[in-house]
Amino acid sequence: MESFVILKLYTGLKPLFLLFAAAWLYLLFTEKNKTRRLLFVTAPILIIALFLFPLSRKYFVALLDGTIYYRVLWTIPYGVIVVYAACRLFEKHRRIGLLVMTALIVLCGSLVYKSPYISKAENAYHIPETAVKICELIGPEEDGDFVKVVVPEELVYFIRQYDARIRMPYGRDMIESQWGYYHEVHQIMENADGIELEKLLEVLRPQYCRYIVLSPAKKVIGDPEKLGLICLAEIDGYRIYSDPVTEKALAELEEAYY
Amino acid sequence: MVFLNCLGLIFWLLVLPFGIGLLPAALLPSKDRTPGVIFLAGYFGVFALLELVGIPIVLTTVYHGFSYLTYVYMSVCLLAAAAGVLLFLQKKKKGLWRLEAGICLKRLSMEEKIGYLLFFLVLGFQLYMAFTRASFDGDDAYYGVQSVIAQQIDMLYRFNPYTGDSMPLDARHALALIPAWEAFVGRMSGVHATIISHSVMPLVLLPLTYLLYFQIGKKLLADKKEMLPMFMILISLFQMFGNVSIYTAETFLLTRTWQGKSVAANLVLPAVIWIFLMLFDEAKQEQETDINGNDGSSAASGYFVLLACVITAAGVSSSLAVLLAVILSAGLAVLFAIKNRSFGILVKTGLSCIPGAVYMLVYLLVS
Repeated sequence: MESFVILKLYTGLKPLFLLFAAAWLYLLFTEKNKTRRLLFVTAPILIIALFLFPLSRKYFVALLDGTIYYRVLWTIPYGVIVVYAACRLFEKHRRIGLLVMTALIVLCGSLVYKSPYISKAENAYHIPETAVKICELIGPEEDGDFVKVVVPEELVYFIRQYDARIRMPYGRDMIESQWGYYHEVHQIMENADGIELEKLLEVLRPQYCRYIVLSPAKKVIGDPEKLGLICLAEIDGYRIYSDPVTEKALAELEEAYY
Repeated sequence: MVFLNCLGLIFWLLVLPFGIGLLPAALLPSKDRTPGVIFLAGYFGVFALLELVGIPIVLTTVYHGFSYLTYVYMSVCLLAAAAGVLLFLQKKKKGLWRLEAGICLKRLSMEEKIGYLLFFLVLGFQLYMAFTRASFDGDDAYYGVQSVIAQQIDMLYRFNPYTGDSMPLDARHALALIPAWEAFVGRMSGVHATIISHSVMPLVLLPLTYLLYFQIGKKLLADKKEMLPMFMILISLFQMFGNVSIYTAETFLLTRTWQGKSVAANLVLPAVIWIFLMLFDEAKQEQETDINGNDGSSAASGYFVLLACVITAAGVSSSLAVLLAVILSAGLAVLFAIKNRSFGILVKTGLSCIPGAVYMLVYLLVS
């Protein structure tokens, strides 16, 4: 049953899957070439049958990760089957065929660029320019050095894609709700009532976290300056603070080691 | 500086794979040795060499692992490309190898030319969108950062990419080396790994994917070549409108082009189907004698070598890609063995799958 659900999710219940089914049926009844029948008629139906067979998923989960079971369906060349069937069907009416199939694909499918996850790139890194500017400000000056920063959720994904020498108390793994992990710093940073700065510093200082980035959208409880933080800059509304207490602790630590 | 960066990218992403591709192409039937097939074979060679060289380094080297990988992999690639070029020149001199043309523009009708123009317009649009649009994917916080770690900290799979804390070898992902390859290309061309992944990779991997579809279409429509532009236009539209869910190979191709998962779905697995199509589509191919004097079956056996190459290359994507490539190959081999009543197909495919079996064994041992 779970495999059916996965198949349903994979197809998105969009008519493009019906187009594939029609193409498959067309090849089933018309394709004479035995090799192509095996590749585009027999193999796909066997793969789908095996995919839906309850034991297949059980073994797959035992060996790998159940959340990626849908990738078994990648072994079926949907596009090739649809397009090859169309080419055969419209062999003698190419121009009409091209128009009809273009219309069908456009109407039955979903344009990838309509995805909410696609936006205009702000730079060649394809990460927000704000993240780049913050990294430029706080990134370590020398190779081999590291700094630690805590940033709001929306920047967590991007900071280390620009500079891997910038460490963070928590990363993407703490943010994705489906994983359900807990991290004390994340909890304080994303508290709906606001960020309790005193509490935040209490948990950040033992981790030698030198910088704090505060979102303009988040209420802050406590005065950063009164708590000893120094505002380095405000970038696109984000305030970047350094913590002199941690800086001093880091300097002492470095002295003790070297 | 940008000019030098571009020259570096052209060499490592276009020239070198072509040189490496001449090696496996030498084993293919002479009529199939088109620039497109050589380039495709070259990329599978590039990825296969990365796995062969990279896995031992990743497993055994803690500090400066990426530098070691860079030196060794660069040397092996350059040697392989030089060997490919030398082999080509030597065979060409003896008249044993001529480079087959993929498409001859002069022989195309006006309708075909317009068809190809339309296809290139769609491809151009996809490349433009890939370059100017950012596609957010949470997995980049893992795979993308692994590339940046390799480039900036010189270590492979020894840091938690999410936080930067050191950790024991991440065995689950350590065998899938595409992030290391992107970091390698970045280091050789002097470009940041994230720019390589997000801006450069789509410009290479999208055309490469369509090159593979072109080979499939060329074979399927060998008797109706005038249909090939229509095939290419429709397949490119299918990719663009195949975003019916976040799970489809088409969605991965245009939103996560640079990730190993997309390479698995859009290059590795279709390549297995292409190889079986090339091996078994025409019965007469078995009797053909190629330019080297080999009979058709031994020339066609070159495709089994290419299959081994593809299965080894699958490792750059993920362990699942290897498993799926092996299972798909084995399944198709059984079907064709029954159809052709030939046990030899099973043996040859079995031999081609050996790298996959070794990969899985290593995966089970280290994870």
